[in-house]
Amino acid sequence: MTETILTGELRARIGETRVYVAPEPIGKAAFRYFALAIGDNNPLYLDDQFAREHGYDGVIAPPTLVCETNQYANLPKESTGYAGHGWDLEIPGTRLLRGGNEYSFHKAVCPEDILTVTWRIDDMVERTSSKGTPMVIVTSIAEYANQNAELLVTNVETLIYQWRGRPS
Amino acid sequence: MTSLNVGTPIPPLERQIDVTDMVAYAGATWDWHRLHYDMEYIRSTGFSAPIVDGQMLGALMAQCVQDWVGPDARLTKLGIRFLTPVEAGTTVRCDGVTVSVESEVLKCDLTVHILDSEGEVVGTAASGHAEVKLS
Repeated sequence: MTETILTGELRARIGETRVYVAPEPIGKAAFRYFALAIGDNNPLYLDDQFAREHGYDGVIAPPTLVCETNQYANLPKESTGYAGHGWDLEIPGTRLLRGGNEYSFHKAVCPEDILTVTWRIDDMVERTSSKGTPMVIVTSIAEYANQNAELLVTNVETLIYQWRGRPS
Repeated sequence: MTSLNVGTPIPPLERQIDVTDMVAYAGATWDWHRLHYDMEYIRSTGFSAPIVDGQMLGALMAQCVQDWVGPDARLTKLGIRFLTPVEAGTTVRCDGVTVSVESEVLKCDLTVHILDSEGEVVGTAASGHAEVKLS
């Protein structure tokens, strides 16, 4: 028999939102640190003069940085070491995997930008895997804006709670 | 960038991602999840090696496209689907192909391949798609 793991209690959380305001501007050093970590030496992220020659006011952030940093969340570390936004959805017998992301980059991110990030649970659905086991797919939408309420990036994130077996 | 025709391949970008890179990425993103470096924790989750943060592959996709289109074009969309976890020390290669060019908007499909030590493709880590505003 197929397990049903998407309870009414979980479904009631669709529409829930969380808002985070970064304690400080994201900063130029964050751009260089991220670029160095991913091995991307594009001067748009590192060289103000070069960025100005290509239509920007100065260096811009590598595109995926704001969606990946936990700088804005200002949360304590969990036992796993994770210190970013999460929904704390408890779905017994499952493990959490990231399915994918859809980023829309509306406006280049500048060092002076102070992020306000609004997360919302857009939907939750239960599906059956190819193994015949249940899984819950959670779709969240995050909007990243700056201190002038300019929308910078939208991130649609898919999380998959995959069945591993009923805990004994 | 030499051509904007549909079907134009995007020059591949290859990278070996080792634990040092992963620790640097963890620091740069304020994400210290133990899955990326702590062997005791990693074994408890059923993996046998540190697992690359999937978003490093997203960053590789963004770099692959932005390097190709040049600094006067702007990446406006990037979609990523994670298919296979990548272990530390693995070499990956991002490549892609143009699927449409209309009204100064270029769309392309992207793939991050997993390579073996001989440089042969042995799997797919992620697939994706991107849009670029050309001017």
